[in-house]
Amino acid sequence: MLTFDHVTKRFGELAAIDDVSFEVKPGVITAVIGPNGAGKSTLVNMAAGSYGVTSGRILVDGVELQKLPKHRIAHAGLSRTYQNIRLFDGMSVVKNLEVALVPPRVGSLIANTFGLSGRAAAEERRARCHAVLDRLGLAAHAERQAGSLAYGQQKLVELARAIVAEPRVLLLDEPAAGLNHGETEQLKQHILALRSPDLAMVLIEHDMKLIMSISDTIVVMNRGQLLAQGTAGEIRSNTEVQEAYLGQPGAIKDIEAAARGRRNRVRLREGEGLTWHQP
Amino acid sequence: MESRARAAAPASGAAAPRKLWPGALAMLAVPVLLLIVGPHLPSYPLRILDMILLYAVLGLGLNIIVGYAGLLDLGYVAFYAIGAYSWALLASGQFDIHLPFALVLLIGASLAGLAGILLGIPVLRLRGDYLAIVTLGFGEIIRVLMNNLDVVTNGPQGIARIDEAHLFGWTLSTPDDFLYLLVAMLVVVFLFVWRIQESALGTALSAVREDQDAARGCGINTTRVKLVAFAFSAFIGGACGVVFAAMQRFVSPESFTFWESLVIVLVIVVGGLGNPFGALLGATLLILLPELLRAYADYRLLFYGMALVVIILARPRGLISRQYGPSWLMRRLGGGKC
Repeated sequence: MLTFDHVTKRFGELAAIDDVSFEVKPGVITAVIGPNGAGKSTLVNMAAGSYGVTSGRILVDGVELQKLPKHRIAHAGLSRTYQNIRLFDGMSVVKNLEVALVPPRVGSLIANTFGLSGRAAAEERRARCHAVLDRLGLAAHAERQAGSLAYGQQKLVELARAIVAEPRVLLLDEPAAGLNHGETEQLKQHILALRSPDLAMVLIEHDMKLIMSISDTIVVMNRGQLLAQGTAGEIRSNTEVQEAYLGQPGAIKDIEAAARGRRNRVRLREGEGLTWHQP
Repeated sequence: MESRARAAAPASGAAAPRKLWPGALAMLAVPVLLLIVGPHLPSYPLRILDMILLYAVLGLGLNIIVGYAGLLDLGYVAFYAIGAYSWALLASGQFDIHLPFALVLLIGASLAGLAGILLGIPVLRLRGDYLAIVTLGFGEIIRVLMNNLDVVTNGPQGIARIDEAHLFGWTLSTPDDFLYLLVAMLVVVFLFVWRIQESALGTALSAVREDQDAARGCGINTTRVKLVAFAFSAFIGGACGVVFAAMQRFVSPESFTFWESLVIVLVIVVGGLGNPFGALLGATLLILLPELLRAYADYRLLFYGMALVVIILARPRGLISRQYGPSWLMRRLGGGKC
């Protein structure tokens, strides 16, 4: 279970996240939605340790993530995908997955390297990676260089890398961005298949159709604050949510259209400077 | 369970070749050939061959940091110097200490490895150009230290009267003797770095090279992993330094200038970053080329520089690119899938 407990994040004067509290329960898919700049990505980046929190706590099964160095967060059971794909482009697909299974302790890493109990462990790691690739329909690409795959496949490899270590919390940061209709449908099936009583899933997405069809619970953010939380049906009929998206109460069809219009189709690596602005 | 078994089968099929001997034989041919042909060479070419082997081993060692972890180290010569001065101080008339070669080899390499860790702790938070500049500075500090610590190192005059090396009752004095030693070192270090490349440590280092933040997000303790890389790399550099001092039987700070660091970096950049074969080929080229250009006297460095520029322009990833390493050769010759 992932818990946000009165989390606040300030960048200078701006409160990107303002006293947000909610829980993400295992066994369900929790979507976080909101207009651009609502603070969705900031939430993910804080949970993953990329940003610190200004105040409040983020916990995975009672372990406070902000007290851990970033690499330990993965070992605490939280893994993520990125809004802009961040695969290890020069490595093969299966090696990309193996990175997530590298033994955490340097001692065992060195022992592994020089063949003390290494071979069996390495075989097992490889088998686990191939099992996950199999499951996501990527088996044929296992030995290909990750950077040479098509965009949609790279997105799936990122998902595979995030789940291979069997995390307890999975953060999906816009997994459907840039995917075509067929690929989105396929992704939906994969996400639904991942649902298990041991896994808490957080989905950040602009594709309202996808969100409404697979989320068990939806958290709506607006201007850094938690606006509403509820099932798809409850969110659809929430007038505050409609206002946040459209400036006035309206039908859910319009919300979906507005959200689609916001979808950023230009994908760039972080730090390249170009950002998409809302008209 | 069934799907796991099915998945495991192609896994090992793609990873390991069907037959091991063709690849192993092809790779063994090189040291065997060297051992057969080497001793029949006249003294001058034999000395050059020794230097090629020494730089090949240095290149293999530096490759761990630069090629695998993607951290540009421009001060690798510092570790080499620490090894060389270990032999010069612990087996000479300087302090009248005469330790056996095998012991000093271990001491020198370990001291260099320790220096690698001590250097790594403060500087590994830096990336790219900044790391390169700090390591360059470290290389210079060690050289300046050797130059000015007269009481210990004899300063710019260097240390002469270094002992002849004896290894388990075998005297190392002629270029032939060192050929055997260097070939043995090459084989050991080659297997060592190949093993690193194929292990979980190699996977972690590659991830650090490709995207350090994503690697941390995957649970890699990037600082530790880089420290281990630094230590291993420095250890090999130190061992090379001990052998160098035993071979020359004279050391002075002049042998450890920035130019030396640069040559070692060039060995792996020209040969192919992250590829053990590349280090061998790069060393051969970089040591042989100046010798072949001796006839042009004054224009020698000009031609040397031009040749390097042409190679890098023609093959920006080096002569043998990363993926055509020993594992590729094993698969290629052993009938596995490439």
